[in-house]
Amino acid sequence: MNDNLIIDAIDQRDHKPLMEREELRDAISLSLWAGQMLLQNGADTKRVEEIIHHIGTGLGCDWLDIVVQLDAVIATTTNNHEFRTKVRRVPNHGVNMQVIAEIADLSYQLTNGELDRFQLRRELRRVDKMPRNYNRWVVVFGVGLACAAFSRLFAGDWSMFFVTFSAASMAMFIRQELHRRYINPLVTVALTALVAGLVVNSAALFDLSTEPSIALAASALLLVPGVPLINAAEDLIQGYILTGVIRGITGVLIALAIALGLVFAIWITGVPSV
Amino acid sequence: MINLLWILVQDAFWSALAAMGFALLFNVPRRTLLYAMISGAIGHAIRTLAIQQFGASIELATLLGAMAVGIWAKFLAYRMKTPSMIFAVCGAITLVPGVFAYRTMIGILQITSVPIDEASITLVAVSVNAIKTGLILVAIAVGIVMPTLLLNREKPVV
Repeated sequence: MNDNLIIDAIDQRDHKPLMEREELRDAISLSLWAGQMLLQNGADTKRVEEIIHHIGTGLGCDWLDIVVQLDAVIATTTNNHEFRTKVRRVPNHGVNMQVIAEIADLSYQLTNGELDRFQLRRELRRVDKMPRNYNRWVVVFGVGLACAAFSRLFAGDWSMFFVTFSAASMAMFIRQELHRRYINPLVTVALTALVAGLVVNSAALFDLSTEPSIALAASALLLVPGVPLINAAEDLIQGYILTGVIRGITGVLIALAIALGLVFAIWITGVPSV
Repeated sequence: MINLLWILVQDAFWSALAAMGFALLFNVPRRTLLYAMISGAIGHAIRTLAIQQFGASIELATLLGAMAVGIWAKFLAYRMKTPSMIFAVCGAITLVPGVFAYRTMIGILQITSVPIDEASITLVAVSVNAIKTGLILVAIAVGIVMPTLLLNREKPVV
């Protein structure tokens, strides 16, 4: 008796048109694919959850229940009495703002009815295969310049500027090479910091730098876990405590790896003497 | 006055360069690169202004700078129809307390090597630097998120 009442209540709710089995399958696989790409490229949890929801409902589902972990996304799509659940793993985190912007744009277009599921799949495939916007040498040069600019902001002189520039560019190059060879991310960070520290300190050994500590602090900044830490704070404030804590710990681990690399560089060269 | 202006211009220039490097690293869309640079310049220049002109502490100044970056990022996101985090992250990076974090780390190393009766001085220095690093990071985060919390008050969809 009681059960029948509940089912009646469900039936009286507004539903979207009945979806084909394939449509329901596409709705969940496409929305989770988009969510995976967002998480992999550094979007905050609220954005991931909202975009998965927009894509799922945009493709015709009544509702989605979404669980966003940092290394997996789980969603259930519901349409009338039919529902489907899928888990998608999210390995390899990095930062790529172009992908986040593109997917946000796609979900906007989908909500406006400008895309169907076939076009969306094609678009997602395009975004997935998109080459990076900037040539790797441009990135090496730009990151070197950025760290050198930091040494100026930390009140270093011009000799520090050039030492920091060469150390940071070298470190960025090493980081790209290690990243390409699938070295563990934390090891990559520690080795990169080690290289930056060695370059700065060997300049100091040849009396080329006046204040090695400024150059050391500045040239390691290219490794700063800015995106994990900002996302951690954002998640915590917006109520996604679990992912916030995980992102925060990730950021702290990266910071520790930076410290480890720099400490080894200081021990090897003995500069600056502590 | 001219002196202060010159300091601010230099400050904005170098922090824009720093923001550019990280924008390249984060692979921002090309059309947003210039605005990401401006966001770095705004954040750091406002922090320097607050410290130099109004004698604010670095934590408070960072909060002001980060709030400016957050508002600028929201404005640009609305104008350019693109996620605000592109501008917020590139702007916030320039406020990161690199030197304080570095001094904390070096201080911890020093504790192990100084004589035991001098260690307390080093320990205090380490604690001060660590607290400053932490507070500045919190100030960045709160400043960046504040405009979102104040502006996005629509009913949640999920």
